[in-house]
Order: sequence, then structure tokens, then C-alpha cells
Amino acid sequence: MATATDVITVTINGRAFDAEPGMTILQAARAAGVEVPTLCYLEGVQCIGACRVCVVEVEGARNLVASCSTPVAPGMKIHTHSKRVREARRTVVELLLSEHDGDCATCARSEDCELQALARQMGIKTNRYEGERTKKLVDFSTPALVRDSGKCIKCRRCVSVCDELQGVGALFPQGRGFDTVIGPAFARALDTTPCAQCGQCAAVCPVGAITEQSHIDRVWDAIDDPNLYVVVQTAPAIRAALGECFGCEPGTLVTGKMTAALRRLGFDAVFDTNFTADLTIIEEGTELLTRLKKALVEKEPVALPMFTSCSPGWIKFCEHYHPDFLPNLSTCKSPQQMFGALAKTYYAKKIGRKPEEIFCVSIMPCTAKKFECQRPEMHDSGVQDVDAVLTTRELGDMIKAAGLDFMSLPDEEMDAPMGLSSGAADIFANTGGVMEAALRTVYEIVTGRELPMENLHVTPVMGLKGIKEAALSFENVKPEWSFLEGVTAKVAVAHTLGNADRLIRKIRSGEAQYHFVEVMTCPGGCIGGGGQPRFCTDEVRKARIAAIYKEDEGKPIRKSHENPAIKQIYEEFLGTPLGEVSHHLLHTSYTPRPKILS
Amino acid sequence: MSTVIRNKADLDKIRQSARDAEAAFTGRTVYVCAGGGCLASGSMKVAEAINKHIDAAGLAGTRVRLVHTGCMGPCVRGPLVVIDDAFYEHVCPEDAVEIVQRHLIGGELVDRLLPKRSDGWPITKRSEIPFFAKQTRIVLRNCGGIDPLSLTDYIRVDGYQALAKALLEMNPEQVVEEMKISGLRGRGGAGFPTWMKWNFTRNAPGEVKYVVCNGDEGDPGAFMDRSVLEGDPHSLIEGMAIAAYVIGAKQGYVYVRAEYPLAVERLRRAIEQAREAGLLGEKILGTDFSFDLEIRMGSGAFVCGEETALMTSIEGKRGEPRPRPPFPAIKGLWGKPTLLNNVETYANVPFIILNGGGEYAKYGTEKSKGTKVFALAGNINNAGLVEVPVGMPLGDLIYDVGGGIPGGKPFKAAQLGGPSGGCVPKEYLDTPLDYESLQELGAIMGSGGVIVMDEDNCMVDVARFFLEFVQDESCGKCVPCRVGTKRMLEILTRICEGKGQEGDIEKLEELGRQIKDTSLCGLGQTAPNPVLSTIRHFRHEYEEHIREKKCTPGICPALVDSPCRSACPANVDIPGYLALVGEGRIAEALRLHRERNPFAAVCARVCFHSCETKCRHAALDGTAVAIRGVKRFMADQEIVIQLPEIRENPENAKRKIAIIGAGPAGLSCGYFLARLGYKPVVFEAEERPGGMLVQAIPAYRLPREILAREVRMIERMGVEIRTGMKLGRDFTLQQLRDEGYEAVFLGVGAPQGAKMGIPGENAEGVVDAMEFNKIYNLRGSVPVGRRVVVVGGGNSAVDAARTALRLGAESVTIVYRRTRDAMPAYEEEIEEAENEGVKLEMLVMPEEVLVESGKVVGLRCRRMALAGFDRTGRRRPEAVGESFVMEADQVIVAIGQTLNLDEILGSVELRRKWRNFIDANPVTGQTSVEWIFAGGDAVTGPASVVAAVGAGERAAVGIDYYLTGAFHAFWREDKPVEVPFDPAQPPSKEPRAKLPTIPVERRIHSFEEVEHCWEAPVAVRQARRCLRCEYGKRK
Repeated sequence: MATATDVITVTINGRAFDAEPGMTILQAARAAGVEVPTLCYLEGVQCIGACRVCVVEVEGARNLVASCSTPVAPGMKIHTHSKRVREARRTVVELLLSEHDGDCATCARSEDCELQALARQMGIKTNRYEGERTKKLVDFSTPALVRDSGKCIKCRRCVSVCDELQGVGALFPQGRGFDTVIGPAFARALDTTPCAQCGQCAAVCPVGAITEQSHIDRVWDAIDDPNLYVVVQTAPAIRAALGECFGCEPGTLVTGKMTAALRRLGFDAVFDTNFTADLTIIEEGTELLTRLKKALVEKEPVALPMFTSCSPGWIKFCEHYHPDFLPNLSTCKSPQQMFGALAKTYYAKKIGRKPEEIFCVSIMPCTAKKFECQRPEMHDSGVQDVDAVLTTRELGDMIKAAGLDFMSLPDEEMDAPMGLSSGAADIFANTGGVMEAALRTVYEIVTGRELPMENLHVTPVMGLKGIKEAALSFENVKPEWSFLEGVTAKVAVAHTLGNADRLIRKIRSGEAQYHFVEVMTCPGGCIGGGGQPRFCTDEVRKARIAAIYKEDEGKPIRKSHENPAIKQIYEEFLGTPLGEVSHHLLHTSYTPRPKILS
Repeated sequence: MSTVIRNKADLDKIRQSARDAEAAFTGRTVYVCAGGGCLASGSMKVAEAINKHIDAAGLAGTRVRLVHTGCMGPCVRGPLVVIDDAFYEHVCPEDAVEIVQRHLIGGELVDRLLPKRSDGWPITKRSEIPFFAKQTRIVLRNCGGIDPLSLTDYIRVDGYQALAKALLEMNPEQVVEEMKISGLRGRGGAGFPTWMKWNFTRNAPGEVKYVVCNGDEGDPGAFMDRSVLEGDPHSLIEGMAIAAYVIGAKQGYVYVRAEYPLAVERLRRAIEQAREAGLLGEKILGTDFSFDLEIRMGSGAFVCGEETALMTSIEGKRGEPRPRPPFPAIKGLWGKPTLLNNVETYANVPFIILNGGGEYAKYGTEKSKGTKVFALAGNINNAGLVEVPVGMPLGDLIYDVGGGIPGGKPFKAAQLGGPSGGCVPKEYLDTPLDYESLQELGAIMGSGGVIVMDEDNCMVDVARFFLEFVQDESCGKCVPCRVGTKRMLEILTRICEGKGQEGDIEKLEELGRQIKDTSLCGLGQTAPNPVLSTIRHFRHEYEEHIREKKCTPGICPALVDSPCRSACPANVDIPGYLALVGEGRIAEALRLHRERNPFAAVCARVCFHSCETKCRHAALDGTAVAIRGVKRFMADQEIVIQLPEIRENPENAKRKIAIIGAGPAGLSCGYFLARLGYKPVVFEAEERPGGMLVQAIPAYRLPREILAREVRMIERMGVEIRTGMKLGRDFTLQQLRDEGYEAVFLGVGAPQGAKMGIPGENAEGVVDAMEFNKIYNLRGSVPVGRRVVVVGGGNSAVDAARTALRLGAESVTIVYRRTRDAMPAYEEEIEEAENEGVKLEMLVMPEEVLVESGKVVGLRCRRMALAGFDRTGRRRPEAVGESFVMEADQVIVAIGQTLNLDEILGSVELRRKWRNFIDANPVTGQTSVEWIFAGGDAVTGPASVVAAVGAGERAAVGIDYYLTGAFHAFWREDKPVEVPFDPAQPPSKEPRAKLPTIPVERRIHSFEEVEHCWEAPVAVRQARRCLRCEYGKRK
């Protein structure tokens, strides 16, 4: 048996390379700078091996082998682009094209379709294998996603992310042979499943088979309507990713250009979800302290640990799968919904408009936000608080449609007051970010001192590890928080629903105990959201995370409670955290949902 | 049996007492097969009835007992009952009384229920039944001999002794070594050495390991595993326990398809018994070895026979394969090292361990040892389950064990290995059934399914069937299998529907190759095999479907309106004219016949009527409609020949077309050209037109005036025949070209006789049959000997023999090196020859012509016996015994015909093919020289009159297309035949009638026509036997 330190020498296309044991041929080839095309291959999930695009020739093997699943072996002689390989690969892509509803001109994925790109790469100009196509069934049943089976090429990336990453398993293969379809059980509609609508399936789909429900038309209509005052909020994760729609490297910050573009698109006011992120910290921090007090001082039964509630996919998942944990969810609405409620009350009053005259648009990295905004309880302004949600990708498309040369736009500032925010709000985009932002404020409220950590970062909850934990001791607390003296707050952070599920099971079983838990639905947090530009790998996620921390570190104000606009809104409108107005506009409740819907 | 077996002594004790009990039982045992096949044909009712009569006769208890056994083998002959050594077939409950009264009480055999020899004599001993005689039963050692539901019965026949031996006397290495010596290879299909697999799993790191049995037998026509599970479930349990001991597993799973409820039930009972007896569970036989088994049922997904899919299914997920590596031996069920073998493989293990690997390795070939179980299905007499030594030739399996093909039809191909396998055509009947030989042919051993096909199977349809199966069963995961096989299926479907295009075959080949090369699992990697192997061996059938839109076997519905018509090389509307004759509309019937074949009267006498061999009426009462007889009646009613529709065309009339040879091909070509308004000229070397019809076929079969009438009809249509004009002697092709002939059709036949190549062949008195027949037929006399020996088995031989007899030979003997049923001559001709006194000496091969003073005095011959199979799918004659001499003063040689092309072609070069015949496009007749067309025997080698007619017609259409660039063959458009027909009426019960013949004594001194015609009422009744297969199929 080779040990991990051994190096394996393989020959790729006639040249010798060193590979690590356990590497697949694909990994070894890529490490050696040899590109092998793939279609179903997806980093971070169990090898699928379905598409056969990545086949290579291994001398001595009877058939071609899939490079994504075959480990390297000492002395292996690999040919990645021999005639036999090229012809086989081409046939595979031709076969895919022959079953695929390939009306490229009208497809949402027309320019970033992986199948189209492969066909072009391979120089496929005619369809030699015309025949029956996959049956077209379009599922519009959910507010967030559209599934078009006619375009589906059954690569199963969506199946893998839904099952392995998110633990939901809403989509899986059914039927056999050519009639195989990917979809919910019994070929029913997606809204009959406990789908969290996170959109990770749409983010990994190589073709246009799963996409977000587009809100572009309704946003244009609103902008064109002279009677509507259209405000837009942008989630923190957008600024680190939008640039990718225009060819920027992942992790390029484009906050200023984004603001300029939104103005030029015709939005009447350009605001920041960060503003309500700061507000969330105040409300949620207060809620946490209140729960702790109840538990520690008043000895009342209170649900702990408290879970964050910013991520709508996580909320829906919890409602379906862990309804017994609903009392543990913070009652705070997500920043998007807090913003919507305030835009149509606080801000509307400021500019002398009625709630129904305000059209509230949010730019989100997330498809579940499209679901969230239409939840019936999100009508606290008297009308639907958030009217339309655009994903980062949709905003990119709108900017292109408007003919704006994005990269040459000037950097502009967002509007006051709801465009002002702290660095703590920025990091809401990253896994661990909400936790860090909360701790910055809670610690200071309790002790009167700044969080005693370098650069205010809670290092243990940063990064891409699935479940992260941290502990923070309160010492020399302010008198009003004396019950927390000497208490060590234990926190945990999970990203992806699969990790959240594992964490909840540990908590339920008593194996782990925490005071506060952050859950984000998507890998890496919102920066890896289902509405972000494709194609997201861990490398991309890391770059975006780093950019967000950079944005935070560059801000003059880095703690939510120090945001002057927040102080202002409490003075002018809300009163106190968890007060009457807050309760009405900024908090919500949850309802258990069944796992199987009729 | 509720005793717990704690150690080997307990096991031996039970065995001893079971043996004692068996020995003490002095009565008789009635074994009734309770295998799946016999159950389906009602064996339980038979058992019940026999029991009732046993009771009634007061025999029950000590005198007679009845045992239900597992599968005995010849399933198609069930229900089966064995008493003593008698093997009763097709037993009905009504037979019970006779079996009890005559056999059990009277001690006599019930002959009518016994299997019969070919001469009809009953076979009284089971061991003499050919089906069993050539089998070697190791896997099936207990199947059909013991009660599968009795553990005691199994122990009595040394059951669990192998397990005891392994556990108590051997360490795992020794067991592996024994397996290695045995040479056993995985019987699931891939043939991986079993010991090696065991060793890999044994050596794989890991505490927890599993033993898994693949019982997900899903090939169409395969039921090997099922029969073992139903007939001897303990042998599987014992084999798996030994394997578990070797690899260190405590738990095993048997994956069986839910469609095998009986197998599941019997296995479940056997596992319970083993568990109760302590043969499964903790500390088996007093050792530290613990092992238990569970059954997991699959839901009938073929892909779950694929090991990774099977394990995924056991894990409770959708049964889909995953990439390998990792291999199950390293990472299998639930990620643990797992040993996977199929039922048959495990069932071999107890025998090997108990008797030693060497005993097993005695059977088989160098590389493939032991025995293999095959499930025979399809067109085979003994459909059922057999076990033979690996390496038995396919032909022996089919003919000796399988009893050959029903109705004596010729073997066409066998599909081996189910949908993953390939077909083996008749050329390879001698192929040994082992892994390597079959792979070379593009087939596989597979799990042992053998589907036998005769000439009524369309190979394109067979390929389509298997691909449809594969496409249905593909899990849909990987692209090549999901989409690729669908595209192949679509192409095959369109070929079968007559919509095939040029290039389709190449597309199938390319797709097939790519699918094999890129698919994820074995299912996809082998899915194209049936298509690729049928293309490899039957490419012409694909071409016929695509180019001629024809399915000769009469299967593909879109190409076949009636099987008789599909089988007719001239595509005559047979059901059409039968229907018209049935209504007495004779003139219309003749006209319809001559739409496609001018020689109605000729063919009524000499056609080899392939239509009748395909007639569906045979499925009704075993006999075809007497199509040729009806035609004879129809032709004989004709007083004045009516000309067919001719479309005058002054343009065409001006163009010069030459036809070489006034045989059936050339005259037919001229006939159809004339119908398009051409005025072709036919050049004939002999003095009389007709070719073989006049030169070779004797007048007693085809009276000369009959032929002359139809030749005159063709002349009246504007075809000029110039006799005495021999190509290469009197003129050349180049001369024709120079004279302005725009196209030439070569219908020169295959007129030269082949030589025997033995000493003395050139002596006086040795003549070629072609010459002999020709000289007599053209000149009216030919020298004939007193004692004539004719060498050969074809029509020429029979014609020469019967002619010689008529010309006064004292004795005429036909010697043929094969058997009578292998003679190519028409059966009715052979029969008549025998009636007339011709002697047949079969299995005789001439070695030397004995010559005295330059003259023949005899023929030294050697007796032959049939050995292996040759490339024609027939048994190969091999010399045996001493040679002997047949006295003869004339030897007529009729062993084949050839064509000397060099003699006639002159300076023109034509592409040639096999045995020097002309290479021509089968659809258009066009040769490698664009203005030269060819057809008939000159292209195909000696064939039939009607094949030549068809070739002439196609060439006429081809020539017209060559000259005009368009198709004008108006006769090819089917016109509806307006004859009332009520499909709801039951078919006529009229039996088939034979044509009357003149008495033998009147024949042998004259050339009077032997066959006569029916009276009108007979003919009409015979015509009305037609089932009208074409009804409703024409637009």
C-alpha cells in the first residue's frame, strides 16, 4: 500500500508528471496543466460519472475511462486528446445535443451554457444523431425556480447538491432508459416537495434546465411606471460577485459601479440591505441577550440555542424538517424583509408616499429570497413589503440589456439614510459573518469593551469548514449584565443545510450545546448563493469571502451599533429594540410545514 | 428436521440415518418435477392426481411415495414424472390412473408418455435419452433428484460436508488453493477467475466484509439461477458459507428478483432450516465461524445484475451503477469489502471443496474448466435447462442435447449471453462454448442463456428486440447508454419499417463502438453487441431491408404483407392470386402472377416454393397451403396466353439493350424491359432458348411445350431472341458496345460442372451431370450405362439419375457424402426418384474411379460419418472404416456448378466475388462496369429459377433507371385485390392435398410429365386454405 507521501509518476500525452496517490486522472491532468473537458463533474460531491465527456484513454485498458472517477496508478499512460478520445467525446456531446431542447436563441443560458461551449469547442456543426427529444415539461410551481425537463441533460449535478450538500433530496432520477427524468418523486411539481428553494441546483446546472424565476420584466415595468417610486436594496454578497458577470476575477469589489449602474437603470433610490443587516444585529443581539437573561436569571423555559434567521432557505428547511426547533429561530425577519417593511413605512413617510406607491426591489445572491418575499406574513407595511427580487445574475443581465458599459462606470455612493452601513453588515455575506457581527455588538453591549480579537475577526468561525465552533467568555461585565459574568458563550456556525441538519441532530441528542448558532443555506454563505454568477468553486468562494472581509476592514464603522443611521431610525421611528414598532415590522413567526405536500 | 447440528459428528449422524432410511425404503418413489416450468404447465395437478390414485390403490406409505423435485431440465416437455428409470413427459392429470395401474401396479412402462427415438421407438431408460446422455451435472447435481424443501435430503447426498471439510480440515488459504486448482471462473458472465476474486476480498483491509450472491437473473430466456434456487437452495447456502469463511465475512445477502417468488420462497425456507439446524448463525459446526444470510429482493431491473448497481440496490437506493474503481472487493456494500458471485458460481463450490479442484478441472478446456449451465430457449426442441462441460461445440449443444430445431428447419443463429451477448451463425456451429472462443466471435458466454433461431427469424428484428430491451432497462445515468442506445434503436426501428437509409449500417456500427467504449457500466458496454454481431454476420439482411425494403424471413410488419410473399424472390402477390383462384377468377389470378413473374406455368412445376416454408398455415395444422399446386391448376387453365400491360415508349424502343443468355434471368429481364417499351435482344449460345430450364430440367418435370409457350409470350412482347450466339465465341462485349448497345445484361448462369478431383476422373464413362442432362435434353439421346452411379445430392444429381433410369439403366445409385436430410435437392424429387427405383447411398464419398482399359469399371468409395459442423451449418462428413467398391460403367458427377468468366468477358474487366461469380449490386444488378448488369446464377452461384426471375426484374428496373434516371416499374405498385373476405370466419379445415402423379411403371420408360393437376373443386378448396395474412395491410 502506498503511503500518502509517495508520489506516483504517470505519463500524460507522452510527458511524465508526478501525481499524488488518491488523485483522479482528472485532478492529475489539471495539476499538470492539461485541461480535460467535463460536464457532470462537480467539486465537493461524490463522483457522478454520468456524462462520459471526461473520458480518456489509458493504455492497456479495454475501454476508455472516465477521468473524473479513475484514480491514477503508478506508470499509467494516459492520453487525453487522442483520436479515439476526441471521437468518443464528440459522439457523447452529439448525443446530448440530440436529446436536448437546444433552442439556444431563447434560452436563459445562451451565453454561459456549458453544453453549448463544449459543442463549439468540439466543432460540432451538424446533428448526426437526430431523434426523439426529451419530453418538455416546464415546472413553474415554485416562486423561486423554473425547471424545464426538455433542456435537462440528466448530468445529476442538481441531484448531488440537493442530496449531498443540502440533505433535501427533492430531485432525483426516475424512469429508465431514454425516459429517465430528473425531478421530484412521481414526476410531481417541485412545490410538492420540501425544497428549500436555495437554488444551488440552478447554480450548478450546466444548461438552462433549472433557472430562477425571472423578475426582470416586472422590475422594468415598475421602473417604467411613472406612478411608482422604485427603491432598490443590494445584499452584501452582490458587490463581491457582480463583477464576474462582466469578466472580472472572482473577488473583485464593485460596490461603487453597482450603485452607479442601478441609478442608470432608473431606480429612484439606491439603498443597501447592509442597513437592515446592522438593524438585525441590534434586534437579534437584544433578542439573544433577552433569551439568555430569561434562561439564566428568570429561569424561564426559553428556547436555546437561538438560531439566526437571515437565510430563507434555512428557515424553510427548518419548518419542513425540524419544526421542533422553530422556537429556537430568532424572530427577527431577514434583512431583506426588514428593509422592505421599513422602505414602505419609515422611508415612505419620509418622502411623503403611500406604501403602495413604493415598489421595493432587492438584489440578492439568493433564489430563496424570491420565495421569502411572497410569504403571506411579509405584508407588514400593508402591502407586500418586497415586490421583486433579482439575483446577481439577473442584475448583470439587466445592466447588459441597458447597454451600460459596467466597467467604465464611476464609483458612486448609495443614498441616505438606508444606504448607510457598517463593516459588520458587509460580512453577513460570509459564513460565520452574522455570528461575528453579532458578537462584535453583543460583547460590547455586555462588557462595554470592544471584542478582544485581532481586527475584530472571530477566526474560529471563518472559512469553509462545514461546522465551526467558538467560545467567548464574558468577564468584567457591565452591572446590568452581571448575570453573564463568567459565562462562556458557546456558538456554532454551519453552512449548507446538510451541515445544519447534522448540527441540529447533535443539539437535539445533547451531544453538543450552544447558546447561539448561525446557519446559512449555501456553501460559503451568501457569497456562494444560488443566485450568484456561475461557476462557483471553493476557490471562487474563498476569493469572494476575502473581498467581503476587505470591504469590512475598509469601513470607518465596523460595528452595527455604531451605525449613525441605525441610531437615527431608533430615535425617529422604532423606539427601542424589540419595542412595539420593531415587533410589528421587524419580527415574524414560523409555521411547521410537512415533508410531503399535496 | 428440528435437530441442531452442533458438530461434524451430528452432521454425519443425520446423513447416516437419512441414508439408512433411504435404504430401508423398499417401495417406489414417484418424482414429480416442481420446477418453475413444470409448475406452470400444471405439475402440481399431476402430482395430486397421482397421489389420489396411489391412495385409492392403497399403495401410499411404505410401498409408494411421491417426491416434489426441482427442475429436471427439459422444461418444454413438462409436466415431468420420473419413476424408476422411466422418464414420462407431457403428463396430464388424466394419465395418473394409467401410471399408477400400469407402471406402479402392473410393472409395465406407459410407452406413450416416454420420449421417443427418431424412429418413434420409446426410450425406456433415462440415461439413454440424448438430452441427458451428453450432460455432466455438477451445479444441477441435485436438481430434480432431491426434495428442495428437505434439509435432510440435502444432507443425505453429502450436503454441508464441504462446509464441514472447509471449516474443520482446511484453512482459508487451502480453500482458495482448491478453488484455484478447479479453474472455476465466474458464471455470471464476465468469467473472472473465482479464486482470484476471493483472494482480493480476503486480502482487502477491513473488519467487516460481506458475501453477496447475485441472483438477479434478467436476461430474456435465462433461468439457470432460478432453477438452482428452486431446486437445490442449500447448495447456494453452503457455497456462500464457504466463501464467507474464506474472506472473513459474518453476513451475506442473496439478491433475488421479486419475479421469482418460488425461488425466494424456497430459499427463505432453506435459510430458516439451515439457521434452525445451526448451519447458519453463531459458531457453525462447533467452530468459531459465524455466518448468516438474508434475502434482498430486487424489483426486476436488469441493470441490478451489474454488481455496483446490485449493491446500491441492497443499500436501499435506486439501483444504479457507480464508477469502478473502487471495486467491490475493496469497497463494496456499505463501503466494505464485498465478495460478489452469482448463484451458479456458488453452487459449484461444495462440489469442488468436497471432491477437490482437480475433479472439477477434469471437465472443460485448457483455459475454461468445469461445466456450464445453459438455458435453451427459442426454436429448439428440448427447450430447458442443461449442464454440459465447458467447450462443448455449439452444434452439439443444439442438436445432441437440445434435440435440434422444430420442424427440421435450418439453424440460422443462436443468441448467446442475452442482450449483452451476440449471435453465432451457422458457420460457427463447431465453435466450442468457452469464454475465449465466443468472445472472438463477438458473442459472450454470459450467464448461459441460449436463444436458438431458425430461418424464420429476422436478424434486424432480433437486434431491434434486444436493443429495445436494453433501452428499457438502461438506468439512464450515462449518456452513451441512455441516448446512444435510443438512437440505435430509432435507426433499427426505421430500418424495420422500411425507412432505412444508406449509411445507417455504418452509423449503427460507429455508435455501437462508441457506446461500448464510453459507457459507465457493463450494461452499456455490451448493449450494442447484439446489433454489432448481427451486422457482422448478417449484414446482407440489413442491406436487404434498407435497399430492397424487403424482409425475407417475413417478420418486419411494415415490409411484409404476408410471409409467403416476403419469401418469394420475385415478390409475387401470392395471397392475391390464391384469393382470386379461390373465387374462380383464373385469368385475373394469372395476370396478377405475371405482374412479377412471367413464368407462371414453368414455376408451377419447378419452383422450389420458399413461400410454402414460410406459410403461417403450418402453425395451424402443421401444413402449408399448397401454393405451387394452386399455381399449377391456375397455369393449366390457360388456353391463350394474355400479354401483360405493356407501356409503349418510342424513345425506349429505339435504345439498344443486349441480354446474354436466354435462361430465366435473361428472359425475365427482357420481359420487364419490354413492358417499359424497350425492344431488347437476347443472345443465346445454344440452339434453343430456356437456359437451365431447357438444358437441365428433364421434360418429365417440365414439358417442353409449356416452357415454349411462355418464351413465345416474351417474344411476342417485342423481345428478340438470337440463338446459337455464344459470347466470347461469336461476339464480344466490346463489339456490342461498338454496335450501339447502351446496356448489357449478363444472365449466363453457372453452366460448368465442378470436378471431383480424384484419380480416374477423366476415364471414359465419367460424365458431368450438366453435360449429361444437356445433351439428352437438347439432342434427344445420350449414352447411358448399365450400372450408373451418380455422385452428388442436388437437383442435377436427381435429374440425371431419373433420366438415366428412364433411358434404360439397370441400376442407378446416388452416392452422397452427407445424410439424406442434408441433400440440397427438393424433397419431392428425391421421393419420386426413390419411388422410381433410384437407390440412395448416403454417407459415402468417392475416392477413386476404377478404370480398366480407359473405361470406368467402378467407384471406390469410403463410408463417412457425421462429425463436427462445417461452415454451412451442416454436420461435416468424415471418413470412417474401410473403403469399398461399387461396380459401375458410368459415373455421373453432380457436385456443383461453376462459371468460366474469362471465357466470355474478353477484354472487359468485371469485379468478381466469391468463387469467381460476378459482383453485382443486389438491388439494381449493376456491376463494376456501369453499362453491364448481371443477375441469376452468374451472380449468386447455382440458385433457383424464381431467384433468377427476381434478379432479372431488378436488373430491368436498374437498366431503365440507368438509361432514364427515373423509376418506371409500374408493376411494383400493389393494386388491391378485390376479393370478399371475412376475417371473423374460422379458417378452412380442409387438409393439404398432394398433386396427383402418374404410376411409376408408366414413368420409367417415358418422359411423360409425372405430376398432374387437380380438379377444379380441389384447387379452389386448396386455395381457400390461405389465411389471407395480407388482409387489411394494403392501403
